[in-house]
Amino acid sequence: MSFLEVFQYTRQDSIVHRLDPRAKLFLSLVLAVISLLFLEIFPLLIIIGVLIPMMTAAKSLRRWLRSMKGLSILLLFILIFNTLLSTYPNPLNYSIALILRLIALMTSFSIFFLTVHPDELSQALIQMRVRFEFAFAMSMAMRYVPTLGQEAYAIMDTQKARGVELDKGNILKRIRNIVPIIVPLIIVSIRRALSIAESMESRGFGASKNRTYMESLSFQKRDWAVCIISLIVLIMVIYIRLNIPLPDWSIPF
Amino acid sequence: MPLIELNDFSFKYYGAESLALRKIDLTIEEGEYVVITGPSGCGKTTLCRTINALVPQFHRGYISGNVIIDGKNTRDHTVAELSSIAGLVFQEPENQLVTLNVEKEIAFGPENLGIEPTEIRRRVEELIKLLDLEHLREKHPHEMSGGEQQRVAMAATLALKPKILVADEPTSNLDPRSAEVILDIISGLNKLDLTVILVEHRLDLVSKDASRIVLMDKGSIVADGPPREILAQDICQEIGIGVPKATLVYKRLKEQHDIDLGSIPLTGDELAGLVKEASS
Ligand SMILES: Nc1ncnc2c1ncn2[C@@H]1O[C@H](COP(=O)(O)OP(=O)(O)OP(=O)(O)O)[C@@H](O)[C@H]1O
Ligand SMILES: [Mg+2]
Repeated sequence: MSFLEVFQYTRQDSIVHRLDPRAKLFLSLVLAVISLLFLEIFPLLIIIGVLIPMMTAAKSLRRWLRSMKGLSILLLFILIFNTLLSTYPNPLNYSIALILRLIALMTSFSIFFLTVHPDELSQALIQMRVRFEFAFAMSMAMRYVPTLGQEAYAIMDTQKARGVELDKGNILKRIRNIVPIIVPLIIVSIRRALSIAESMESRGFGASKNRTYMESLSFQKRDWAVCIISLIVLIMVIYIRLNIPLPDWSIPF
Repeated sequence: MPLIELNDFSFKYYGAESLALRKIDLTIEEGEYVVITGPSGCGKTTLCRTINALVPQFHRGYISGNVIIDGKNTRDHTVAELSSIAGLVFQEPENQLVTLNVEKEIAFGPENLGIEPTEIRRRVEELIKLLDLEHLREKHPHEMSGGEQQRVAMAATLALKPKILVADEPTSNLDPRSAEVILDIISGLNKLDLTVILVEHRLDLVSKDASRIVLMDKGSIVADGPPREILAQDICQEIGIGVPKATLVYKRLKEQHDIDLGSIPLTGDELAGLVKEASS
């Protein structure tokens, strides 16, 4: 699952990291839409050619390359099967375009997720008028995912020590084996949730209708610039897509 | 007017069979450092919960009697309303850290109360300095040790500027070294005029700083007074709480060898001092 790394926030000090998350969200969406507008190799290559310098600016090119390497087997798989099974006139050309589009889409979104801290994300949501409780629930989920994972492993170890054979048997048996892990996990989690609620309540959670925030995000000139440029590019690309026929540079296979 | 007042207070958790607290009468004045101790299940945690109204507002059940905290009856005030009077630190640090870094964690309480952002920032910086958290500032709770987590939890509670700090076995999941750090911080805070209520089993570590020990058993208070008086009583050993070694030595000398050292020691150093005095 190493290709998922491009969607995981990494602490860095770069121009991209310093941008406002809302501006980055817009940028990512525009890039994703543009990637979806094309299914020809040449324009998709241009898009990726634009994305790679952005990754470099986010000081994350190495990470991106590593993820792409992790993804390569899957991509190869798609390439082979699509080419063999496709009913399109130029199956190889079509499959390559498909893969390029996938890469472009992933990279577009990774610019957002790789550079936005979950805290910034929830703050951005709050300032986009999402209710605090929802935004906070999301950031709390991220907070407790590692804890839950650890707990699951501990329960697995306990059950193994008690003689439950977790990784033996056919599929059906294995699915049934999940029960002695899931049930204690749910019980432990409910107990933990109560204890967390107790602690949050003790610190005034939900006390005031006018909750304040120590830090709020503010749009800088550079954020406006990113948004405006993204918008202009989007309009231009849509215009090109609709009105200018692309040269037919496809691979004839 | 005392800061904390429990009048003939009893409580039974919803669905439980017996009372968790039985007819508790307890008065605590400002500036005191009260250590609560007693065997497992005797109601120490429940008593802590009454002080910020978690009992009866969060944990429902049968109640009789009244709890008055800083003039407020906990039957009529929410936990949130009491959050800037009594701050609770719990046993499990992991469950008290609900955000993704230390600054946010400390800011969480004051933000909930709607305090000015500049004031919140000031408190955060003050507490980071006071509890020595500078190197943890940007860390995810998962990347911290238990002792560090507990220090952050304490800072997060203090950020609400409570008059009372209630700490329920804050050191029970910690190694001895981190436990000592936490207990030192607590006694330091008490010297800065914070009223402290601490549940603790390791009486050898806390009784020298505490102004009072409250001994509980089966939901009732069975002894209450200055550490030296309480720890010398036989009831401590009967219930089975951890009386400091020095105090035990004192008692044995007195009871079995008829040697009276004059005053009751709480630490090894005090005992040594008394022995030296007696032999000279
Ligand atoms: N949430 C709850 N619901 C029902 N009963 C509870 C609840 N919490 C505690 N009790 C019961 O109330 C009694 C007192 O529990 P309490 O947790 O206050 O004891 P304690 O002195 O803190 O024990 P320990 O030293 O183990 O922490 C126990 O009999 C316990 O089973
Ligand atoms: Mg307890």
